[in-house]
Amino acid sequence: MGPLIVNEIISSNTNLLIAFFIGIGFGFVLEANGFSSSRRLAGMFYGYDTTVLKVFFTAAITAGIGLLFLSLFGWIDLSFIYINPTFLWSAIGGGVIMGAGFILGGYCPGTSFCAAAIGKLDALAFIGGILIGIVIFMEGYPLWEGFFKAKYMGSPLLSDWLNMSRGLLAFLIAIVAIGMFWVGEWAEKKFARDDYEINQH
Amino acid sequence: MKPRLILASVILPLGLIIAAVPPNTTKAYKLTAEQLLNEVRENLQFIHPDQVADMLIQKDPSLQLIDVRSKAEFEKFSLPGAINVPLENLLSEDYEYDINQDVKLNVFYSNGSTDANEAWMITRQLGYKNNYVLQGGLNYWVETIMNPEKPASTSPNEEIAKYDFRKAAGSALGGGGGDIEPAATELDAPAAAPPVIKNKKKKRVQGGC
Amino acid sequence: MKEAKKYMNPYLGGVLLGLVLIVAFWVSGRGLGASGAPKAALVAGINAIAPSHTANTAFYQEYLGGHAHPLKSWLVFEMLGVLVGGFLSGAVAGRLKFKVEKGPNVTSKVRIIFAVFGGILFGFGSQLGRGCTSGSALTGMAVLSAGGFITMAAIFGTAFGMAYFVRKLWL
Repeated sequence: MGPLIVNEIISSNTNLLIAFFIGIGFGFVLEANGFSSSRRLAGMFYGYDTTVLKVFFTAAITAGIGLLFLSLFGWIDLSFIYINPTFLWSAIGGGVIMGAGFILGGYCPGTSFCAAAIGKLDALAFIGGILIGIVIFMEGYPLWEGFFKAKYMGSPLLSDWLNMSRGLLAFLIAIVAIGMFWVGEWAEKKFARDDYEINQH
Repeated sequence: MKPRLILASVILPLGLIIAAVPPNTTKAYKLTAEQLLNEVRENLQFIHPDQVADMLIQKDPSLQLIDVRSKAEFEKFSLPGAINVPLENLLSEDYEYDINQDVKLNVFYSNGSTDANEAWMITRQLGYKNNYVLQGGLNYWVETIMNPEKPASTSPNEEIAKYDFRKAAGSALGGGGGDIEPAATELDAPAAAPPVIKNKKKKRVQGGC
Repeated sequence: MKEAKKYMNPYLGGVLLGLVLIVAFWVSGRGLGASGAPKAALVAGINAIAPSHTANTAFYQEYLGGHAHPLKSWLVFEMLGVLVGGFLSGAVAGRLKFKVEKGPNVTSKVRIIFAVFGGILFGFGSQLGRGCTSGSALTGMAVLSAGGFITMAAIFGTAFGMAYFVRKLWL
């Protein structure tokens, strides 16, 4: 049955409209969890607020296990799901640069848009930076085109690399994630700060 | 109860179930003759020259062109980056790494589309993935990309946009962008030596998702 | 002033985010993303202002060649939705306010400078790594893509590794 767009149950214009509604859900959940706060995002790296870790990994395991169940019931054909291609060097290099941007700027692209929507001025500055960064990439493209396209590996799945079924890998990740949540809650007590309140239910 | 424990008590059993059941393999590995006929009738194997040209210009590393004509023809003219696997050698072990894989998009081409289609049908029946056929073969390629026909000025915008793209693509790929004859194109094209075909990629475990 | 509401429980939020992600997969066959939208907007903008420049630069040729119209893309519509969704949530919870959020020991000016600098790095890195935290790491992990795990590890590993050296910014 799914994905609807591949099986031509909906048109490409409907798909764009639905993208808008999916975006609303995405933005709402991000903001409601405080991803619009740079101090909260940065808190993950100092242990005083690990909300981001919890939300991020809960979402990943929910979606991962959920997709496998949908596939089990025959409601979605996983072979039509877009899996981003792996270019080893640029994935690592890009990730390292993004990590530095994350800790210095306090946002990532999705969260900065979300934060700008509720009036955070530092998020607006961050978005300005993103635009500059992208322009630098596009204008200097010939300089890093080789690195960008090096070590193409297709669209491999981690489960294939490890030679296990997708289900088993998803289960193992869920166990690891719940272990990390436990550490996160411990860290929030240990590194708690007087000038910062986690402020959630 | 702590939210974390609630989450764990829901997610972990679900994870255990999904780890224990075999993945959904409703898709047969080999096609039945009927399925193959269906694919052929719906022309699912064809990939349009416009798309191939686009990937070539973008230097898309996932594209692998496979020339199934004879070696002599290949040396006279071939598409950029193509490797030569003459049809009679299709099942030779030397080429199996290139043809039976799931990393790149293989596009077979020949002068028309008959030979390439035959190659596709054989590999499809073997259950190989990611193999396609250049629609119309090299003849159509020269017609559309190297030597596109200018649409009348009254044509719909899409037609004109398509023409502009083809003209640009043709000149980027070494053609004359519509100003020269196909024969000249063939002479201009560099007779690139076939790249070394040694690929160490390990074969994917059969089955699974 | 009305006190802002508390944030959602993170595990509940994570499950909801996971469900949004599943809907995206089920409907559109793809996950969430973010960094593609500003890129599309930039390409469209630059193409409108200086078409001769885009026609002669390798990157734009590739990009424009592969896309119908840069703004008519899934990610652009999705990110418009994110702006609306974030605004709605902020409005419901009483968090709409113009302010600069910063650590206790830096001035607003320093915070803004570092935000711009971090944004430059993130913008560049997201192009090099073919997607940001949402597009590559979160979505990639949900589909168990090896690239997703690599990018995730690189982002969070680097941020953790640098955290100590830039602690003045946040602590």
